[in-house]
Amino acid sequence: MSDVKSLEHPTLKVPYELLNKKFRSAQKTLDREVSHVQTAANELEKGLVGESGGVASGEITRLLGGVVARLQVLKRKAQESIAEELQAGMVCKRRLDHLKEHANTAPSAVNQWRRQRLDRMLVEYFLRKGYYTTATKLADNSELRDLTNIDVFMVSREVEKSLANHETTRCLGWCHDNRSKLRKLGSTMEFNVRVQEFVELVRADRRLDAVKHARKCFANYDDYQLQEIQCCMGLLAFPVNTELSPYKDLLDEKRWERLIEQFRHENYRLFQLASQSVFTVALQAGLSALKTPQCYSVNREGKNPSCPVCNEALNELATTLPFAHCSQSRLVCSISGKPLNEYNQPMMMPNGYVYGEHALEKMAQENNGTVICPKTKEVFPYKKIEKVYVM
Amino acid sequence: MRKTIMEACNAVEREVAKVLLKFSAIDDHGETVLRDLINHIESIKKELENGPPDHELTQCQIQVLNQAMTKVRDTVQRLATDHRDLHSTVSKVGKAIDRNFIADFASTSREDVFSGPEKTHLLNQVICQHFYRQGMLDIADELASEAGIRTEEGRKEPFTELNHILDCLKQRNLEPALEWARNHREALLAQNSSLEFKLHRLHFIRLVQQGPAKQGEAILYARKNLTQFVARYEKEVQSLMGTLMYLPNGIQSSPYSHLLNPTLWLDIHDVFTKEACTLLGLSVDSPLSVCINAGCTALPALLNIKQVMQQRQVTGIWNGKDELPIEIDLGKQSRYHSVFACPILRQQSTENNPPMKLVCGHVISRDALNKLTSANKNQFVSRLKCPYCPVEQNPEDARLIYF
Repeated sequence: MSDVKSLEHPTLKVPYELLNKKFRSAQKTLDREVSHVQTAANELEKGLVGESGGVASGEITRLLGGVVARLQVLKRKAQESIAEELQAGMVCKRRLDHLKEHANTAPSAVNQWRRQRLDRMLVEYFLRKGYYTTATKLADNSELRDLTNIDVFMVSREVEKSLANHETTRCLGWCHDNRSKLRKLGSTMEFNVRVQEFVELVRADRRLDAVKHARKCFANYDDYQLQEIQCCMGLLAFPVNTELSPYKDLLDEKRWERLIEQFRHENYRLFQLASQSVFTVALQAGLSALKTPQCYSVNREGKNPSCPVCNEALNELATTLPFAHCSQSRLVCSISGKPLNEYNQPMMMPNGYVYGEHALEKMAQENNGTVICPKTKEVFPYKKIEKVYVM
Repeated sequence: MRKTIMEACNAVEREVAKVLLKFSAIDDHGETVLRDLINHIESIKKELENGPPDHELTQCQIQVLNQAMTKVRDTVQRLATDHRDLHSTVSKVGKAIDRNFIADFASTSREDVFSGPEKTHLLNQVICQHFYRQGMLDIADELASEAGIRTEEGRKEPFTELNHILDCLKQRNLEPALEWARNHREALLAQNSSLEFKLHRLHFIRLVQQGPAKQGEAILYARKNLTQFVARYEKEVQSLMGTLMYLPNGIQSSPYSHLLNPTLWLDIHDVFTKEACTLLGLSVDSPLSVCINAGCTALPALLNIKQVMQQRQVTGIWNGKDELPIEIDLGKQSRYHSVFACPILRQQSTENNPPMKLVCGHVISRDALNKLTSANKNQFVSRLKCPYCPVEQNPEDARLIYF
């Protein structure tokens, strides 16, 4: 397995879902326009079967004009729809091209690709967190608009905003746009929004309107949401300030926030986005892979300023994560940063600290045969240094 | 591995190419067919209009019209059907993606690790610092305001200055870097830094590059700035002064042409970053980049082992909060700490189970030492034979060491 295969599924799947959506709406448009043309054609044929035998040319030319007009509309709409589908296909293609650049092994290209990957991940993370301005700015700055799913989130931003303002129209519009897919996912989004509308009518003490609303909207759900509908209807009997559960919960203003949460979640599912962002997933794996017990040692000597897990904030974030697994010793000389092995033997000072042979030799030459432990500042003669053997 | 990436991308790309091809085809075809149809109907219409107004249609004309309408209905119906048939082509793209890329990449991570307002705040701080460090100040500021981070938490200051200096270096302006090096001379010397010398060297090279006209200036500059480095960089200073001999004919064709290598300018960028970060106690690379790159290396391996464990129905091991289930090699650059793994127990040492050096010099963990000792406990004096060499010893003589 490789990093691209493991991490880039959403990079491709989201534009694919958009392409699929474009296809479905194009089909719908085509079907509608085709049926219009056919109606016009049928009308003309009916006109040709004159009732009193004769068929007047004036009437027929008028009907022919209608057929031509319909055909022209069909032609225009077909072109528009197919152009949109092609555009959606091109987005898929561009993303694939970007992923293929990963194969370029020149160091500068690798770095550039990785930097872009981090920026892409961050854009998505910001979008999920609702930092839309930062996300847009970063995407524009790093020229990533085509490579990130910013547009999908921008649509959901509008819906979230309107839900936060206690408006349902946009969310219902979204439910309508994605009806077939949502039904396949078994989504309760639309139902919950309808319940909220009902609750708001009750809150405004328009109970009769609430009943009308229920008649209109709840009738289609009765088989599997019966219990909730019963709760709603029960609400009609209670005052707005009731302390009784479940009616109190229905009237809770927090229900709007839960709707926003649900909306986000369903929108992710719609585009097959995972509930966690690629960024946090990769960060977790990375922190774990780098995490050593030394990063959490009590004395500051064990820490290394270059180690990310020793960084104050990341250190705290990684507290609950597992450590890296290590079944083979990996020793590094903390003076030179070079690995300790048969070419650079590990040497122990009398105080028990181990450093590399090269670094200690050099230090002894510069200090008339004595070495100073960088951690404890103790001074020892070089000949007191002992070899240790690490298997 | 790169090959499989290309294969995965190509598999999807083939399907995407089919989509693009077929949609272009249906676009062209639809346009032609509809245009012809419209022309045909319009010509019939014109014919009728050219006849006397409101005359009765002949049987022949009615037949033509009926045929035309059948044609209209069939053609548009076929168009819609053709388009509908493309659905399988479209959905093949989705299937190719699912087959070649992993959808549940999040299965190895825990959702709660970065959730909650405190964790979010910390993470945003890290991201903010990352952007300051990359010199993307406007994005860092935007995030700070949108996520409610105070600037001092973002640690903006050192990066603003460093980035300014680095930008100047990119434009081959040495002055800000030289000034910084002068201000931090003591500290830089303490870390055995060559930064200041390298900056002066570049300045000198630039002067001699401009030919004999500048040689006076070059010599003055060397007298003023290079003398202080003679003790440490005698050889380098000599070769710098050697260039003066070749000024009239240009240094390109001299033994000193290597001094003109543009990589020196790239190097100075790295040298400055490294020295400045060490001096300020910062890491050289952005901690966030290092983590993410490590994560991207680790994740495929983790997903793989997870899959294997599920296939063999070994669940539960993943719950281990202490350690990842497999070793991940991040390469030499990403080893920041010494890790001692006991060769007997195959476990990493911890504070409770530290490495112990036996008298013979072999190192094992304290737990292993205790186990080996207790195996011989029935004897009056506990003796231990080193598992790796013939030396017998008193386990009490083993001592704690620190890597």
